[in-house]
Amino acid sequence: MMRLYAAELLKLKTLRGTWGFAIVALGLAALFTAGGIGGVSEEARFESRYQFRLILDMAFATGILSLLLGIVLFTNEFRHGTIARTLLACPRRWRLVATKLVVGATTGIALEAVALATTLGIAVIWLNALDVPLEHGDLADGAGRAFVGVILAGVLGAALGGAVHSQVGALVGALVWMFVVEPLCWVLLGLLDWDGVADYLPAASLGGVIDTADEGLPFAGSVGMTLAWVALLTVLALVRTGRRDVT
Amino acid sequence: MIEVDGLTKRYGSTVAVQDLSFTVQAGRVTGFLGPNGAGKSTTMRVILGLVHPTSGTTSVLGSPYRELERPEKRVGALLETFDAHPGRSGRNHLRVLALAGGIARSRVDEVLALVELSQAGRRRVKGYSLGMRQRLGLAAALLGDPEVLVLDEPANGLDPQGIRWLRDFLRSLAAEGRTILVSSHVLAEVAQTVDDVVIIHRGKLVQQAAMADVEAMAARATTARSPDAARLVALLVAEGIDATLVEGDRITIHAPTERVGEVAAANGVVLHELSAERASLEEVFLELTGDPGERGG
Repeated sequence: MMRLYAAELLKLKTLRGTWGFAIVALGLAALFTAGGIGGVSEEARFESRYQFRLILDMAFATGILSLLLGIVLFTNEFRHGTIARTLLACPRRWRLVATKLVVGATTGIALEAVALATTLGIAVIWLNALDVPLEHGDLADGAGRAFVGVILAGVLGAALGGAVHSQVGALVGALVWMFVVEPLCWVLLGLLDWDGVADYLPAASLGGVIDTADEGLPFAGSVGMTLAWVALLTVLALVRTGRRDVT
Repeated sequence: MIEVDGLTKRYGSTVAVQDLSFTVQAGRVTGFLGPNGAGKSTTMRVILGLVHPTSGTTSVLGSPYRELERPEKRVGALLETFDAHPGRSGRNHLRVLALAGGIARSRVDEVLALVELSQAGRRRVKGYSLGMRQRLGLAAALLGDPEVLVLDEPANGLDPQGIRWLRDFLRSLAAEGRTILVSSHVLAEVAQTVDDVVIIHRGKLVQQAAMADVEAMAARATTARSPDAARLVALLVAEGIDATLVEGDRITIHAPTERVGEVAAANGVVLHELSAERASLEEVFLELTGDPGERGG
């Protein structure tokens, strides 16, 4: 498994697209942080949990990138036909699915590390310049949550990629689900007075991990519900990948 | 050794392979032949664990491929479809495979040199020609220095020099005791390379034989010319051999040239010509695998 894991990481490292994700993560983190500091009033910078929110706003964008990279790292195999060669090296397909999930978590860690370093770098310098004292507890709390959320997004993406196989289908499907289908579900469930049910949907669960609004499921519940979605998609990925004829 | 036993593979209502059984012996190059769509690639992919059989079993070195430990070191495979990411360099593609298979990194440069891709190794695969892609596929197959090679149409895209190199290379690998299964839809292409042939058509086994036996099938009849042709015909018929005087001094005989020569010599008949009429290997192949009416495409 370790050999396969190392090979999967090397696969990502040797593709320009992966570095593109890292650069976009860095750029978005810089943009969100700049907006979060420069785009708010002086009073807002001294509000309770301001620095916690600053970190998690960045994590929202990084989480989406992590989800997309998770999808790509699995579906690339089918898009480019490399799955045959991969399965020749790893004929026990459950191992491949498991490794892809771990790689999804790893890419989540890497993206979040890049984004967090960028955010902290900008925030420390800028907030010091503005004489805003650093709230180390808030920053650490935000960083911890951000890592958990972005890692879960990467694993969720890899599981989704393993379940769907079609890259375009998985990427478009994930984005449409997050930004169209699930918000519509929230509205419809609200009309039926079932608002609480919406908190258990995939995007809401994952969003709850890095949410600062104190609405919906608590942090632990959001993590648990996201893991449940990961488990469901993993089962689908195992079945689909296990049964697929690679022709 | 590779064993295929009672293999059937259906895709919906389409039967790709039907009750196919054959064995590939160690130390021999076995040609896996059949027209396009005969089921060769499907069979090879079942052998390699990429396609699930509907029924029947396959094994490589005594086990199903999926149960082999470190299969990259034991079985090398070249598939007909290209299986490298276009955005990765050839060398990095092999580095990934070496890492996954627990193969020394130094082997990457060795196999790149072996297939004469050292210069192009750092270029991205999307810029490779068809022949270069085929060579990269061969490098991937050889990476683990495997005991068994399963090669699907390996000569595709190779120039004549490359085909000759491949032929000599496969012979040298077989001489080392390795098991080699190589598919082709052109018998003549592999005739000089293979020891045995497995011929399939429409997913069914048509013939499994030594290449020498297939070549013997190409022998059609013997032609002889003699100034004493009528007497020779009589002598051959008396020996129970089917012989016909065609025209003038020319005789067509359904017996090996050696036998005709022996009868002529024993009876002091002068021969001006004694030759074997042979069908081409392609004609034999088409006879075994095709209906005459299907051969247009």
